[in-house]
Amino acid sequence: MADAPIISITDLTVTYAGASEPALRGVDLEIRAGEAIGLVGLNEAGKTTLAMTINGVIPNLLPADVTGRIAVDGRDPTVTPVRDAARTVGMVFDTPEYQLSQASVAEEIALGLEGLALPSAEMPTRIDAALDAVGLAGFEERSPMALSGGQQQRVAIAAVLAMEPRILVMDEPTSNLDPAGTADVFAIARGLVRERGMTVIVAGHDVEALAGFADRIVVLDAGRVVHQGTPAEVFGAVDQLRDLGLRSPQVTELAHALAPAAGRLPVTVRDAVAWLGSRR
Amino acid sequence: MRATTGPAFAAERGSSWLHRLDPLVKLTWLLAVIVVAFATFDPVPLFGIALVGLAVAASAGIGWRVVRVLAIFIPITSSILVIQTIAPPICAGGGCVPVATLGPLELYQEGTIRGLSLVGRLVAVESVALAVILTTHPSDLFGALARLRVPYVANLMLSMTLQLIPILQREFEIVLSAQRARGMRGTGFRALLPSFVPVFAGAFQRVQQLTISLESRAFGATGARTSYRHIRSGTRERVAAIAGVVVGVVGVLAGLTIWSAEQSAGVVVPVQLVVGLFLLAATLFAGVLLAGIRSILRA
Amino acid sequence: MLDLADVRYAYPDGTVALDGVTLAVDGGAVVAVVGQNGSGKTTLAKHLNGLLRATSGRVVVDGLDAARYPVRTLAAHVGYVFQNPGHQLFARTVAQELAFGPRNLGVPPPEIDARVGEIVARLGLEPHLAAHPHRLPLPVRKLVSIGAVLTMRTPILVLDEPTTGQDHRTAVRIASLIRAAGAAGTTVVLVSHDMPLVAEVAGRVVVMDAGRIVADGSPRAVLGDATLTEATRIAPPQITQLAAALPGRSHRPAVLSVEELVAELRHVP
Repeated sequence: MADAPIISITDLTVTYAGASEPALRGVDLEIRAGEAIGLVGLNEAGKTTLAMTINGVIPNLLPADVTGRIAVDGRDPTVTPVRDAARTVGMVFDTPEYQLSQASVAEEIALGLEGLALPSAEMPTRIDAALDAVGLAGFEERSPMALSGGQQQRVAIAAVLAMEPRILVMDEPTSNLDPAGTADVFAIARGLVRERGMTVIVAGHDVEALAGFADRIVVLDAGRVVHQGTPAEVFGAVDQLRDLGLRSPQVTELAHALAPAAGRLPVTVRDAVAWLGSRR
Repeated sequence: MRATTGPAFAAERGSSWLHRLDPLVKLTWLLAVIVVAFATFDPVPLFGIALVGLAVAASAGIGWRVVRVLAIFIPITSSILVIQTIAPPICAGGGCVPVATLGPLELYQEGTIRGLSLVGRLVAVESVALAVILTTHPSDLFGALARLRVPYVANLMLSMTLQLIPILQREFEIVLSAQRARGMRGTGFRALLPSFVPVFAGAFQRVQQLTISLESRAFGATGARTSYRHIRSGTRERVAAIAGVVVGVVGVLAGLTIWSAEQSAGVVVPVQLVVGLFLLAATLFAGVLLAGIRSILRA
Repeated sequence: MLDLADVRYAYPDGTVALDGVTLAVDGGAVVAVVGQNGSGKTTLAKHLNGLLRATSGRVVVDGLDAARYPVRTLAAHVGYVFQNPGHQLFARTVAQELAFGPRNLGVPPPEIDARVGEIVARLGLEPHLAAHPHRLPLPVRKLVSIGAVLTMRTPILVLDEPTTGQDHRTAVRIASLIRAAGAAGTTVVLVSHDMPLVAEVAGRVVVMDAGRIVADGSPRAVLGDATLTEATRIAPPQITQLAAALPGRSHRPAVLSVEELVAELRHVP
């Protein structure tokens, strides 16, 4: 991993135009290239605001007052046009359908490539590679509107991957998906980090899935970063999270109930089996 | 996940010569046809154009689709023929002599000819328009418009509007069912009012999310873009477009001279044709009326 | 209370969404209908208040043949909470929103006020009474949409994916609302893929796959059946998976909650 962080945020405060309260307050955060980050927090905690500031949608598309410093891959997204930031940061949102507008999967993926002014001769290769990465090889001519929610979300991811960004930000990508779709999306996210060295940030509520995916968890509460660390560190603070209205993975809650003073608590089923085994 | 079906006249994927033809050429010829169709009242060239339109559609593999859509116009066309034949407005000042009498109705050949020309105009424009619409993919059309230097934003707004129609339809149905599930009665406009807020709030949210998603994929308003879809647009296409304009101009001239109203005034149409057409149109029209009344009574 | 006999439903284009569903639910039961997207669980739910009409088979709801009554009449018997609150909320204030349902059902105004007051207190909606529903944050909108159906006091309550996209704090409130409804004798049909919620509140779980019911039993029996959950791609709660993975537990019944497994493990010598 490189030494300098790929995302560097210092004392970031974001107040939407017309809002009386800031959505983000003095956020300090550093993310290194190739990290898998899980972002948790209640519904209005600021996860979406943070995600959209990283690629410059805030303040370039959604007017907001932004103070503090933010650097993404060496550039300041608040003054970079979103279309340029799109080369570095790809974004996937929570409602699959709302991201699709073309008549075929291939055209949907090509949309971003057209915007990057990629020569049309190179497009088919990129499209194929992107579909392979999300397990939808052969879906080029299918109509996105006729696909299942999970498949649609994977098309949205492919559409972003084809642009070969260094960073992928996913804002509650599995909220509207069933368990099968959720598993697929997280598997893709893990693969992107492990095999392509991409920096992937996933915001959401599925703490069990995030615990298995992330290298680091960041907890937001009312616009502030209140906790960050490894999944074991963050989710191990079971009572703290409960006070914030959040929860830890069930296996962590179990371990905490059995051994409140224990050191490192398990966050996945495998960890938990081993942890319980070692307690005997 | 339910599929969203587009409107009945949405372009389907196809690979015929017409599908692959530059949309600008198709639009030029369509414009030429419209101009010519309104330049003449002579049914012969009008039906001629209609036949050519159908032939073109058939060669592109969409002949039956065009015929099915044209069939929707049977009520209108038959009523035009019926009314024109028995009471042609051009004979209002007196000066026409009926060529046949059916009970209380007097049939005028001037009316039949005028009726045929109005129907012919309708069918001519429809058949060519459908041939163009059904074979032109919206993305190609917008690409063509972009080459004409139409601002990208206008392009985007147009395509978004087209897509929103079936989407809004579906949203409306869902919202209406949510209101009915809470006991709402009535089907009048007042009952629909509560549905507008959620539908438009949802539509606004959807468009906003889509815009953000698109912008996040480099969909800016300025700067060069390349195109994924391949549409041939070279010298051949330019020639074809110019040919369309020439045909249009020639057609208008013909309409003003050899196909003009004065020329067709002296034509004599066989009585049997007048009566036969009238009876056919009347039967069709009556049939449609009866079917309509039956379905209203059944609802 | 609910009686479905060999119900089939096919969309106009011929796709079969329900392929012979037979289900009987007693009054007061809390039944969860689970399955992948596309398994037919939401389609099934929409037959309960007439939003969809069976192509064949019978649907009897609270003694009424659903095929013979319009949705607005069945609304007095079945309250349906839509998955997306945005589809339901339309009034200018939360108070009006909550009153809409009972007003349509012809409930006398004093009674409407009483019901609205009770729901507002129960859901903590006092600060939002005069607010425009669409301007509220998502968790509040969700509670308002559920409350707006609860004020109708229907004997049957159907909830379509109530916790999807909601944070933990809101999910907990929704779970307690469901439990309270069940305790009060309401027949609850919960369509959900939130397995911890199902494990917590459901007394019975019906599993759907490709338009058919493939399993019907207690949460313990259904969620503990690994072959079934894998084949239908429903994910049992993490705690259930953990218990199943522990050595020496294969003969024991499935675990549905953290508390259960904690208690069990504390007693193992």
